[in-house]
Order: sequence, then C-alpha cells, then structure tokens
Amino acid sequence: MISVSTKFSSSADIETFAQKLRSKGGPAAKSVRVCIGTGCAAKGSRRLYELFCEAVEESGQDVKVEAKCVGCHGFCERGPIVVVEPGQIFYQRVEEPDVAEIFRETVLGGRVVERLLYEDPETGKKAEKADEIDFYKVQERIVLGNNGLIDPTEITDYIAEGGYKALAKVLSSMAPDEVISEVETAGLRGRGGGGFPTARKWRSCREAKGSPKYVICNGDEGDPGAFMDRSIMEGNPHSVIEGMLIGAYAIGSEQGYIYVRNEYPLAVEHLKIAISQAREFGLLGKKILGSSFSFDIRINRGGGAFVCGESTALMASLEGRTGEPRAKYVHTVESGLREKPTNLNNVETWANIPAIINRGGKSFADIGTEKSKGTKVFSLVGKVVNTGLVEVPMGITLRQIIDQIGGGVPDGKSFKAVQTGGPSGGCIPAEHLDTRVDFDELTKLGSMMGSGGMIVMDEDTCMVNVAKYFTNFLKEESCGKCTPCREGLAQMLYVLDRIVDGEGQAGDVERLEGLAELLEGTALCALGKTSANPIISTIRYFRNEYDAHIKEKRCPAKECRGLFRYDIDPEACTACGICMKNCPVDAITGEKKVPHVINQEKCTLCGTCWEKCPFAAVLKV
Amino acid sequence: MSVCRGVKGIRKGKPVPTVTIDGCKVRVKKDATILDAARKAGIWIPTLCYHPSISVDASCRLCMVELDRGDWKQLVTACNYPVRSDIVVYASSERTQQARRGVMELLLARAPESKELKVLAKRMGVKETRYPKVTESQRNCILCGLCVQVCEEIIGKAAIGFAGRGVDRAVAAPFRQPSEDCIGCGACAVICPVGTIKIRIHEDKQEVEISPFKSRAKLLVCKECGALVASMPVSEQTLDKIKLNSEEFRERLRLCPKCRRLQTVTRLGATTFRKK
Repeated sequence: MISVSTKFSSSADIETFAQKLRSKGGPAAKSVRVCIGTGCAAKGSRRLYELFCEAVEESGQDVKVEAKCVGCHGFCERGPIVVVEPGQIFYQRVEEPDVAEIFRETVLGGRVVERLLYEDPETGKKAEKADEIDFYKVQERIVLGNNGLIDPTEITDYIAEGGYKALAKVLSSMAPDEVISEVETAGLRGRGGGGFPTARKWRSCREAKGSPKYVICNGDEGDPGAFMDRSIMEGNPHSVIEGMLIGAYAIGSEQGYIYVRNEYPLAVEHLKIAISQAREFGLLGKKILGSSFSFDIRINRGGGAFVCGESTALMASLEGRTGEPRAKYVHTVESGLREKPTNLNNVETWANIPAIINRGGKSFADIGTEKSKGTKVFSLVGKVVNTGLVEVPMGITLRQIIDQIGGGVPDGKSFKAVQTGGPSGGCIPAEHLDTRVDFDELTKLGSMMGSGGMIVMDEDTCMVNVAKYFTNFLKEESCGKCTPCREGLAQMLYVLDRIVDGEGQAGDVERLEGLAELLEGTALCALGKTSANPIISTIRYFRNEYDAHIKEKRCPAKECRGLFRYDIDPEACTACGICMKNCPVDAITGEKKVPHVINQEKCTLCGTCWEKCPFAAVLKV
Repeated sequence: MSVCRGVKGIRKGKPVPTVTIDGCKVRVKKDATILDAARKAGIWIPTLCYHPSISVDASCRLCMVELDRGDWKQLVTACNYPVRSDIVVYASSERTQQARRGVMELLLARAPESKELKVLAKRMGVKETRYPKVTESQRNCILCGLCVQVCEEIIGKAAIGFAGRGVDRAVAAPFRQPSEDCIGCGACAVICPVGTIKIRIHEDKQEVEISPFKSRAKLLVCKECGALVASMPVSEQTLDKIKLNSEEFRERLRLCPKCRRLQTVTRLGATTFRKK
C-alpha cells in the first residue's frame, strides 16, 4: 500500500503519478487478492483476508507479498474467490484451512494448488486462470474489468490501472461539446432501464436555461435479484466518480449527488472513502487539475422505497420530500432537482464514461448491435448453475448468456423462461432464447433491458405464480399517489390470488388484460405504466398455464398448493416409513415391505413427505 | 367543424399556441394546460383532484385526454399538460372515455358510498364498478390529496399528510393521533370532492372535530348569548393577521354574528335616534 499524499494540479500529474506507482510494483511483485464483494464476504472472505495478512506478517520473507481486498469478480456461485499474482491463479471456494496451503504452495513456492482450481463440469479440465473458464470467456468486461484488480478503498490502485486518465484528457484537451459528441459517437444508452441516449440527455441539460445545474447518480438499485450497480459502487467507486466528473464538465454542473440505497452499507462506505480520497488528491473540489472546472459530490442515502429509483421521485427524496414521482411533461433536464436543470444517470452509465473517453467513442461503438452499443452487466440468478454478475457485449443471445456463461439449468431440469428487466420486465420463453440482447429486441418480446436483472426459471416454476410474485412486489412498492397504480395493482393481485388458489373464474385473463391496458395508459410514472408487464408477458407466452389454473384447477408446474396432489409411486417406495413418521397429520399409512399410501382426504398438502423421501417416491401429480 | 374562439387577454404580436381540442380551436397562453384550453372551448373534462387555487398533483388520473403525437397518440392528463406549441387533443375519443371510465371504476371500488363520486360517475356514463373493494383502509377516501394540499398551501399548517403507501395509503395526522397543529378551520372538509371529511360540532364540550382525523379545536363562545361562534384558533389566527389595534374591534369579533349585529344596531339606534 502506498501512502503518498499528492494533490494533482495539472492533467499531466496523473500520468506521472501512475507511472511512479507502476514502477514501484513491477512484474516480480507477489500479491494475493481476496474478493470482498457482498457474495464472497457473506461466505467469509473477510476472514480469509485477515488470515492472508497474518500469513504475510509471519512469513517475514524478503519477497514482498501484498494481500489486498478487491471488488466483486462476478463469479459469486464459486466464492470466496482468491487470485494470486504472479500468474493470475484463480482459486475458488476457498475456505479458512486453505489459506496456509495457498500461501505456502503458491505464494512462496510458486506451485498451483490443483484442488482449489475451477473444474469444468463437462470436460473435467482444470482452469488456472479466470480467462480459461467458460464463465469468463464469453464476457467482455469494460465496466467490471477493474473490479477484481483494485482495492476499492485505495485511489492509488485505481490510478495505477489508468484511472482518472480520461478526466485528465477531457480537462486538458476537450471542450464540453466534444465530450458530448464523443459519447454520442459511442452510442451509449442509459443503463438504468429506459435506454435513453445519454449524449442527447447531456446536451439537453447543457442547453437548458437555469443554474446551477445538477448531475445525479442513481444508485437506488431495487429490483429483486439485481446487484450490478451495487458491485460497481462497492468494487470500483472511482469509476463512477470519474464518470460523473466528466459528465458534469460536459454539462456545466458544479454539484453532483449519488443517491444510494441505505441497504448497501458497503457501497456507501466505499463511496465515502473514494470521495474523500478524490478530494484529497484534488480530483474533486475547486479548480480541478488546474482548470477552471469545479465539482463536488454528496452522497444521499435512500430510505428503501423502490419508487425512489424513478428519477422524479428520487429528486423529491433528495429535496427532503416524500419520494413520489411527478409528471414528466416538463423533463428533468429542464426542471429537475430544486427545479433546476438536472441530469440523472444510472451507476453503470456513469461507469462507462471513462472507458468511452479512453477508448474513443468509435471503438466503443464497435461493440454491440446497431442501436445498442457497448456492454451490459447482468445479474444472472435463479435456476442456473453459475449464479453471478456477468458483463456481455450487446447483441449476444440469451442462450449464450444462460447456457455458456450460466452453465445452463441445474439438476437436469429443462429451461422454461427467463425474466429480464426487473419487476417491470417480462418473461421470455425458450423459443425466443436466440434473441439478441439489445434494448429494442427485448422490448419487442414484451420484456425490457431494465437495469439488468436476469432470473432464470426452470420447469418447476409456475408462471402464474411468477406474475403474482412480481405483482405483489409492485403492489407493495407502489407509492399510492395515482389511482391506476394504487388500485389497479391491488385489483390485479386480487384476481391472481384467486387464480393461484384454484378459484379463478372464466374471464379472469381478460379482466387482467383490461386492467393492464388501463395501467399502461393512465398511470403517472414509468413504474406504474410498466407494472403490468409481468402479467402481460406471462399471458402472452404461457396462456395455457392460466387456462389450466382457471378451467382445470390444475397447476402444470405443480407449484400452486391445492392445484396438484401428492402420491406415492408404489414401484419406487421402499416402505422405509420416513414419510409416515414425518407426516404431521398422519395421512400416510403403510406397513413394512408394503408401499405406503397417502390418504388424500387427510392430506393438507404440506409437502413434508415429498421433501423427506430419500428415494423420490413421493410424486406431485 | 372548426370554431375559433377569441384570444381575449392575450396581447397581439406575441405568438400563442393553438390547441385543437375535438376539432375546436382555442388559443391559450404559453404554459396554460390542456384543461384550461378545454374549459375555454366549453368542453367538459371530469376532474377530481384539480382545484384552481391549489398546485396541480395529477394524482386522480381522471382527466385523461389523447394527445396527437403524429404517428401515435398518447394519453396525458389535461390538468397539468403544459401547452407549449400548437397541439391536437382528443377529449372525447373512445380511448379517453375508456381510460376515464376505467379509472372511475377503480375509484368507485375504493369509495362505494360516496354520493358525490356516484354523481360524477353517472355523468361520465359509469353505472357501476366491475371491481370488488380490496382494501379497508380509510373508507370512502379517494386519496386525491386536496385536503393535504389545502392544509399546507393555503392554511399553512400541514396538520395532515399521507401515511403508508400503495393501497394502504391514507390521509392522516402524524402517527394517526389527533393533530396539535390542526386549527379546526375545516378547509379540508370544504375542499374534499367526495364528502369524506366532515366537520363535527360537539356542543357539550364546545369543540369542533375534524373527522376522520379526530383533531379537535376549542370553539369560541359568544360572550353575550353563549352560542358557538367559530374555532378559537382560527379566530386568533385571523386576529393576528389584522393590523388593526382597536381593542373594541377585537372584542366584537368574539361575539356571534347575531349578537354583533344586535350590538351594532343598538349603538346605531342609540346615536341616530337620540339625534332625532
């Protein structure tokens, strides 16, 4: 760790400093990088880091060994992850007892501990480096690239990896208009969900009358199962700050806000540290890098309302009012925070900016499809082998993401649908898996890019239940300001509840469709307008499941309690008596060597027998 | 059919946007709303949460109209859509009617007992609602927010606000306790478009209660006849605002209107008749 306090006074200073940092390192340097992203930390990686630090102290070797915490690698399924330099040896599922071995063998001895390497489940081949793993092969990590390399609490790490170089370039040689043009050439579209062209937003804000102007970073990521922005803020906070600095310069703003949810304590802490370090280094504050540009950032913590991710609600919350949206007939770039021109972008959008400036807009635009450029980070969760955070070039197919990166559906089950775009997104069935991931393509399918949640569902998932889950989530999170969203969601949930309980009535699907159309047309904000998407998309692709629930009182996925029954397969039953012992209502009868039987009248469908049977003889029929 | 109405009040020379609403052309000041234009054109658009004295919230979503965007039409709320350039609006199209009726049905499901709401629904051609009542939170309140706004913006008290969210949202005083800030003026009851907020006079305790918030204020009792005059805090607040320092005038405001009149008459009588 280098504790140099430097205050940069010109753009050239950054490059000189970065060179100095790099020369201190050198190829012979040894280091152990422990992932402390939330996934790995939950599996005890903090303790691993401490143990490595102790090992370094105790060794007292001449060789310089550095143990450091780094951000999320993305491969959360296989955490905790430890990478050893030199050689970028990638160890996964590391546990406390492994620390001594890794240190002795790899760090000191230069040998690889085979046991801890990732093994391809199909070929059985071991991968020494991350690049050799299928999970990483298909990815293109622009935003997440530095996550596994740098200590998020050390600004010097970021600078050594080329950080703030883009800012130096912008301040020393680019006019604000040129910056906007560069972003326009890159074709960057907002990563928060809407996909609005970033450059156009910036330009409108720059041209809007009124001052001061504000820039805001929306870090109120609230979609269930999504943690893209979280990992960026936790793992590479400086990239967000640098992006905001460049944006503020282009727009002509001197004050920025990062609105981050309070449920992300590590993100708040890392952002706080990053901001204070940037101030110390003269990268935030007055006359940055000797230019006439001044800018500072404040962090505001959100109180946990999903709707505060909506731009106008977020601004209301920033102003200290209740976080409720307002009509956007007058755009926020004209009149946003405190009725001043305000430019709001999502965390990932901001984090893309330094890369665009460094690579040049053209080279950025080479990645992706015609209308969706660059990469997109997805949090791949649900019924998929490799859960984690993936960054892929736009235009990749859903199949590639789920099968190649995600490793397909586990336990030999078959794939049913993938839900993209968070609660307001939709479910895409298997027949559309070859669709290219792109803002417009996903919208055509009745889903959306959203902020990048991707939930994989297998054959055991009931799509009506999925629609009910998301509708319930949205109903709970609806602010209640406008009638259609407040009342409509409650009405839709009422109908869905009825269907799932086996009390669906003829015409329920049409009732849902009618309400969905009403919400889409009349709700106040985007949250309300899109809230029927889970219902519309499941009706569109899985109408047969709705019909089975309503007409036949049957749940094809056998998930909705009461719409299927448990039965014992006499062939598979070994008459072990476990189910009988565990049944809470004594509904199972049987004797030794005689297959057991469930008394359907007594059965309460609790599912205990199904869970307990070691021979999978209890069936859902 | 195209009728162009005059542009009274708009100075000549300044370009003013034209709103073509159901084929009727009206010109309005820049940043006027579609609702302003419709009223000028004599076209009725139902509203609930709109009140000219109060800032626009657009929360009831009843005043939907269709805005012509060229290749597509967008539903917008008439009460707060600012007219900035020439636009074409459909206020009676099938889609707008359907949207408004849909919203009205949802409101009827929430507040089935409100007479005022039923009258408006009837005028809109909605006879009944297809939806059941799905929430028990706050009977008959449609959560338009006018009461909350009038209390804050006009009275300057903010004694009530919204509590909870989603379908469980309710208008309430802080912690759902009787509010200490409430002055019992009753502005909320007057502005409530569905008659949910009521003013109750408790003669025995000489108090006014604003229902359903349970907030109470002492009533001013006429010194002469003992009749209940008005809420004491309202009277005091009014007196505070008056710069007149005549103690006699202040004293007279503490009488009921009847006694005040009687006093005046007596005085007048005393002076004029004596002269005669």
